[in-house]
Amino acid sequence: MAESEKEQGEQDEDEVEEDTPLEKKKKIFSKELRCMMYGFGDDQNPYTESVDLLEDLVIEYITEMTKKAMETGRAGRIQVEDIIFLIRKDPKKYSRVKELLLMSEELRKARKAFDEIKYATTK
Amino acid sequence: MSDTSPVKKKDDKGEVTASVASNSNDCSPGKRTHLDSDNEDQDKSDQDSSPSKSSVGDTPEKHKPSSDGCRTPSDSPPNKKKKSEEEEENTHAKLKKEKQEEERLKMQVLVSNFSEEQLNRYETYRRSAFPKAAIKRLMQSITGSSVSQNVVIAMSGISKVFVGEVVESALDVLEEWGDTGPLQPKHIREAVRRLKHMALIQTSKSKKVLFQ
Repeated sequence: MAESEKEQGEQDEDEVEEDTPLEKKKKIFSKELRCMMYGFGDDQNPYTESVDLLEDLVIEYITEMTKKAMETGRAGRIQVEDIIFLIRKDPKKYSRVKELLLMSEELRKARKAFDEIKYATTK
Repeated sequence: MSDTSPVKKKDDKGEVTASVASNSNDCSPGKRTHLDSDNEDQDKSDQDSSPSKSSVGDTPEKHKPSSDGCRTPSDSPPNKKKKSEEEEENTHAKLKKEKQEEERLKMQVLVSNFSEEQLNRYETYRRSAFPKAAIKRLMQSITGSSVSQNVVIAMSGISKVFVGEVVESALDVLEEWGDTGPLQPKHIREAVRRLKHMALIQTSKSKKVLFQ
């Protein structure tokens, strides 16, 4: 928690001190995050600072989860079960992960079946 | 971008056709005890293949009612126990399916009554996602080793839920503080503070007060 506050403090300082040309840190989720924020209820054009802040939060979240997952179960590797274990207390995320994995499995089966049909008919 | 018939919106999840799945619950009530294990298996296989079949077009959902004649009820105690457990499971599964069914119908009705702006927002909500390549790259740079596809799927899904929680909480903060317009970083920071506080409070085991 203290770390994230420090990071945000440093960010604020960078935004205030504009003596040297800022090397802008490459934002990797800007477009998608904007759409996501609109989808979840924000304005159609969210503030850039808000998007940047959220991106940092998301990257921090993923980093934390990844690090924790590396430690659970088989150390040094990440498996799906580790993520599910870490999520177990949060009902929203837990059910969402289960749903996603089920769906991806169904899609895989469907694609396989479709390809087999295609193979059978074109043969 | 948005369809004219929002009810029929087809996304990867195949959640479109409630009518397709609703046919699967037709079984004559009188034969339920014997049919159940047969029907449940068929129900499961039908549900598994229904996303693909709905895209192809044909949905053979009817069960074979003739398959029930083979089973005879056995009265010996261990078989009776198994049967009653099976029946319990079957009723649970049926209840679950009916609930899912109801849920789907409700969503259909809701979405069909959306205004243009709401439709737009709902579509963006469903479609937005984190790019799997970027997530994979990020995770691999942290772990140093490769990361499987399922893990990337799970992580991007969780991140989206995380963003949703933060944004919704930030919107509550916005309303509480009487501000308007797009979200500002101060709302987001307060939202994160609240969420962390809640998570901390929830994860610490609540001690039950036994004696007053």
